[in-house]
Amino acid sequence: MKLSTYLADKFYALVIFIIYIIILILFLIALKLPSSIIIFIIIFTIVIFFIILLFDYFRKRKFYLELLTKLNSLDKKYLLIEMLLEPNFLEGKILYNVLDEVNKNEHDLISNLKNKQEDFKEYIELWIHEVKLPLASLTLMNRKDKKTLRELKRIEDDVEQILYYVRCENANNDYLIKEWDLDTIIKNVALRNKDDLLALGIDFKVDNCNLKVLTDSKWLEFIINQIVSNSIKYKKDKNSFIKIEGVNYKNKVTIIITDNGKGIKKSDMPKLFTKTFTGFNGRGSKATGLGLYLCKCLCQKLGHNIEIESKEGKGTKVIITISNQSIYNL
Amino acid sequence: MNKILIVEDDITLRSELSNLLSNSGYEVLILTDFKNSKEEIVKINPDLILLDINIPYLNGEALLKSLRDDNKNIPVIMLTSSNKTIDEVLSISYGADDYITKPYNPTILLLRINNIFKRMKKSFDYLEYDSLKIYPNKGIVVKDKEEFYLTKNEMLIFTYLLNNKGNIVNRDDLMSYLWNSDLYINDNALTVNISRLRAKLYEMGYNDVIITRKGEGYLLK
Repeated sequence: MKLSTYLADKFYALVIFIIYIIILILFLIALKLPSSIIIFIIIFTIVIFFIILLFDYFRKRKFYLELLTKLNSLDKKYLLIEMLLEPNFLEGKILYNVLDEVNKNEHDLISNLKNKQEDFKEYIELWIHEVKLPLASLTLMNRKDKKTLRELKRIEDDVEQILYYVRCENANNDYLIKEWDLDTIIKNVALRNKDDLLALGIDFKVDNCNLKVLTDSKWLEFIINQIVSNSIKYKKDKNSFIKIEGVNYKNKVTIIITDNGKGIKKSDMPKLFTKTFTGFNGRGSKATGLGLYLCKCLCQKLGHNIEIESKEGKGTKVIITISNQSIYNL
Repeated sequence: MNKILIVEDDITLRSELSNLLSNSGYEVLILTDFKNSKEEIVKINPDLILLDINIPYLNGEALLKSLRDDNKNIPVIMLTSSNKTIDEVLSISYGADDYITKPYNPTILLLRINNIFKRMKKSFDYLEYDSLKIYPNKGIVVKDKEEFYLTKNEMLIFTYLLNNKGNIVNRDDLMSYLWNSDLYINDNALTVNISRLRAKLYEMGYNDVIITRKGEGYLLK
């Protein structure tokens, strides 16, 4: 709040004051007072008027300046009201109370929605828990029947995707970062995809993965499984391979997943991690456009980095970088 | 015969599980009274417990903890549909020997169970086949003081066939076993490894001991 804008705002008061001064001067002249007294009275009145105006200006300026600087410096603007002291002038008090009221109302609404979302997430977790029982029973009943097992695995993968979708969209982070063996995580992914890999004749190679990684094992398993599933889905017809390689650096570990599949069109590259984006390869098939979006989202939550390099017709390379310093993950 | 106790409240699942395990040569018992689960377990005194987390009354993790607090060291495999890492970490810290999530691959489950029993019999250092002594950890087979080297693949295939001596080993189960041991080989490689193993056994004086049953698998005589 600049003084000039404040004064411009108080224009009406100035106009009224000037009219008052003119009337006062005329009145004093009519009283035939000596001009020195008239000048004294006029100057005195003007000084008093400006003192009142300036006092008011500084009182408000302090509050509004604080209001604006805090508003600009906060990244969560809704917290503004918590940062302010209640002002000592009427307009400020009104504004303060209004903000407080609006804030409380918004707060109630948000916590309401949060509770609903949390309830929904819990319901989904419970539902997934329940649906896995018949799935497990069916897997055991049909353990000799390859075809049924493959369909069951598809259901299982889809069910799992819902779980991670909910976990990803939810503000609560229910992961647990700890030191895990990378090769165990990769083994789980390998075993999950074993039948598909063998049936489709894809070579699965693992190199230098006897490493420790700071991550959540289930989440990372899901991420790597998504990438391996993609490689299986978009394989080339002959001599396909998927290679997982670990590289240990001083303060990070990278996991490089390479395939020699169809690759990704250059124009699709920038949008790969976008939700529901199905690129050239995905169109016409049953791609949901969620897999890589979830990978990115989960990686961000875990503090990992994920990048994709690809050449159309040559293959795809996914690089996941995991920091060794737990402090990054806090 | 090893006695396995199933602690799982889903009736269909536990009967299927019991089916699988008894077909694989285990004595299977099912816990039905969850109210006094701990006392029941102590009474049954199984060799291994397959424990679900979500069971009535005391949950699986708490049950495991109270068993371990009483110094009951029966091996426990957690079988659960929980996908939360925290459950795995808790279970392992309470003393679970393995943690498998539902739905599980039956072959892998059997392998993991087998692993635990193998670990219990610590004395196991070498296996015997006729006059051969097989040292899986060293990767050698000894015949009359003569040493023959097997690759990791060949050794795993040989020990698996040997453990199932006289029975047909399904190619798929063999494959699961190899993949579970971090050897992700493909169909061709398996065939190649089997013929290499055959050649090495021939060198040791055993001709045609691995028989191929078309469409079924392999059999070690």
